[in-house]
Amino acid sequence: MHMDRTFQGSPTPGPNATTLARAVGLTVDMPVQLGASSVRIVDGVDFAIGVGERVALVGESGSGKSVTARALMRLDRAARVSGRVEFAGRDLLALSEREMTQVRGGDIAMVFQDPMSFLDPLMTIGDQVAETLRIRGVGKADARRRALAVLDELRVDRAAERLDAYPHEFSGGMRQRVVLAMALVGEPRLLIADEPTTALDVRVQDQVLDLLDDVSARRGLAVLFITHDLGVVAGFAERVMVMYSGRIVEDGSVDSVFARPRHPYTRGLIKAVPRIDQDLDRLYAIPGAPPPPFARPTGCAFHPRCDAAFAPCLRDVPAVLPVEGGRAACHLHASQGA
Amino acid sequence: MPALKVYAWFLLKRLGLTVLTLWGLATLVFLMIKLMPGDEAQMAAGADASAAQVEAMRIRLGLDAPLVAQYLRFLLRVAQGDFGTSIVTLQPVMSDLGKVLPSTLELVVVAMLINLSVAIPAGIVAAYRQGGAFDSLCRAAAVTLGGMPAFWLALVLQFLLGRVWRVVPISGQVSFGMGSPVVTGAPSLDALLAFNGAGFLNALWHLALPAAVLAALFSTQVFRTLRASLLGVLRSDFVMAVRAKGASARRMLTDHALPNSLNPVLTLAGTQAGAMIGSAVLVETVFARKGIGAYMFNAVAQKDTFAVLGSVMFIGTVVCLVNLAVDVMQLVLDPRIRSAQFGSQH
Ligand SMILES: Nc1ncnc2c1ncn2[C@@H]1O[C@H](COP(=O)(O)OP(=O)(O)OP(=O)(O)O)[C@@H](O)[C@H]1O
Ligand SMILES: [Mg+2]
Repeated sequence: MHMDRTFQGSPTPGPNATTLARAVGLTVDMPVQLGASSVRIVDGVDFAIGVGERVALVGESGSGKSVTARALMRLDRAARVSGRVEFAGRDLLALSEREMTQVRGGDIAMVFQDPMSFLDPLMTIGDQVAETLRIRGVGKADARRRALAVLDELRVDRAAERLDAYPHEFSGGMRQRVVLAMALVGEPRLLIADEPTTALDVRVQDQVLDLLDDVSARRGLAVLFITHDLGVVAGFAERVMVMYSGRIVEDGSVDSVFARPRHPYTRGLIKAVPRIDQDLDRLYAIPGAPPPPFARPTGCAFHPRCDAAFAPCLRDVPAVLPVEGGRAACHLHASQGA
Repeated sequence: MPALKVYAWFLLKRLGLTVLTLWGLATLVFLMIKLMPGDEAQMAAGADASAAQVEAMRIRLGLDAPLVAQYLRFLLRVAQGDFGTSIVTLQPVMSDLGKVLPSTLELVVVAMLINLSVAIPAGIVAAYRQGGAFDSLCRAAAVTLGGMPAFWLALVLQFLLGRVWRVVPISGQVSFGMGSPVVTGAPSLDALLAFNGAGFLNALWHLALPAAVLAALFSTQVFRTLRASLLGVLRSDFVMAVRAKGASARRMLTDHALPNSLNPVLTLAGTQAGAMIGSAVLVETVFARKGIGAYMFNAVAQKDTFAVLGSVMFIGTVVCLVNLAVDVMQLVLDPRIRSAQFGSQH
């Protein structure tokens, strides 16, 4: 472990990794209805993902994980994204919409939470998987052949026979494999997986997770894995970033964050992971609820729910400072910088 | 494709349903004849027939038989396309309709094409750029047009385009001397059949204004329906997934969002086709065109009962067939409806 890593403003990936993607001061404002006013959903987020690296992004519902992920690909037409997003040295926010379509599905791909609602119900799955390639000018027969190859790789039952079947004819787990195939067929270098297993039942969750583990390792694929289930993070990712109310409050290697969480919020999340040996009625939950983005508390947004809060927490937004094995944004650790 | 057999079976089922519907309509028409004030035999014989002539007619039409027998006979005649004789033209209503209907269908088909080809692109652009200038303009236009009395719109357009600016003919179906031998009864089709290019263009030219008026009356509804449906679809998750694949806005709209928002538009267009034939009454009268509208208008004015009822049966049949076509189109469009109808094919 490199314990003496330091951060000089620009975020870096984990040790031994060259930077693939990087967000600097990433900020996302969403319009409130169709008016002029907007609300800040993501507030100045810095992070980097290395080539082939697996990074988990965790946080409670509504913390802004999906909005952050979508901003990387500029997916949401309504969102106003500012700051800097780099991919392989290119500034994605400076690209035209047309150039951006080359990045989407080609360099960066995404799989989503609910595979049913993220598939077009009127198009065969063969066509939907092949479309990623057809957009890039691949011929019809060739695209179909490669779509089939990926579906086979992902162990979709009887894929050849079912290329012309429609999404509603598949089970949840198979649909998620189709969605994954749609993402992988364009041979991206970064895969953003936005809670890809949340909508599936537990047994299928494990299968899909294993599959994701498998194919990303085989392809040397970097993965940004979004989840609010800390339980799956340890087995899958190398690094973890914790998000709260639109800001990253802590990040670091999975080992160090789990062994020594710095931020009280991270500690709460870890404590809330159910263990097998635990009585159901003794499950822990962080008291209170995350604030809506339009009513973010002053200072540290977590302070109303934090049992260690003291005067500065109410006043100043804590800076993201290096700690052993990662970074934390907490006034308790403001003096412990490396 | 094994799907073919499955479609044939579906068509057969729906045709059965159509026959049932028409049977219901015929029963309704029969009841209307029976409940209408006035003596049927008198109506058939004409207002100035003598008492003996009326009695002869009563026996000829079988009106002296029991009601059930009359009903069965009526159904049998309707099934053979016999709607009785018009007291105005003294021709069988069926042959009258054969002469006027093609002209109306020509008008309605062209109006429907204009309707859809204006309202659908407008609805797409308006929904994609919701709240933009084009959207606002279209919505204002839709409200204005939608609130306008049809009759008034027809007259205003006729006056402006026909009288003041003189860009299109204001009445008739084809200029004097440009007509072609009547084969189908639809002037534009007849011109095509006679290889009369100038006549064809002339017929279309005469069609422009009445078809535009008819289209304008109906396109606001199509615009609004498509816009609302598309706005819903554009908010759905799979649209984001399509964008994530790298699809351009154009591909996302034409290949994914539009097909997914078309179902309510198809349903609407089906009901509009029937309503358009109804509105043709007005348009054909204003623009002095031949057609079922003008025929019905005269029939009502002259209390020509059999002509009115025959027209109703005929329009009912057309509406049923259009709805059948809509059902088939929805089936072709949506695999989920196919599965629900036929069970899964995989
Ligand atoms: N298009 C949008 N317009 C306005 N607000 C939005 C939009 N999308 C998300 N938000 C708001 O932004 C906040 C963050 O949402 P986001 O979906 O990123 O949360 P999340 O961390 O992914 O949560 P979950 O675990 O439930 O998926 C939420 O309060 C949400 O209401
Ligand atoms: Mg989310």
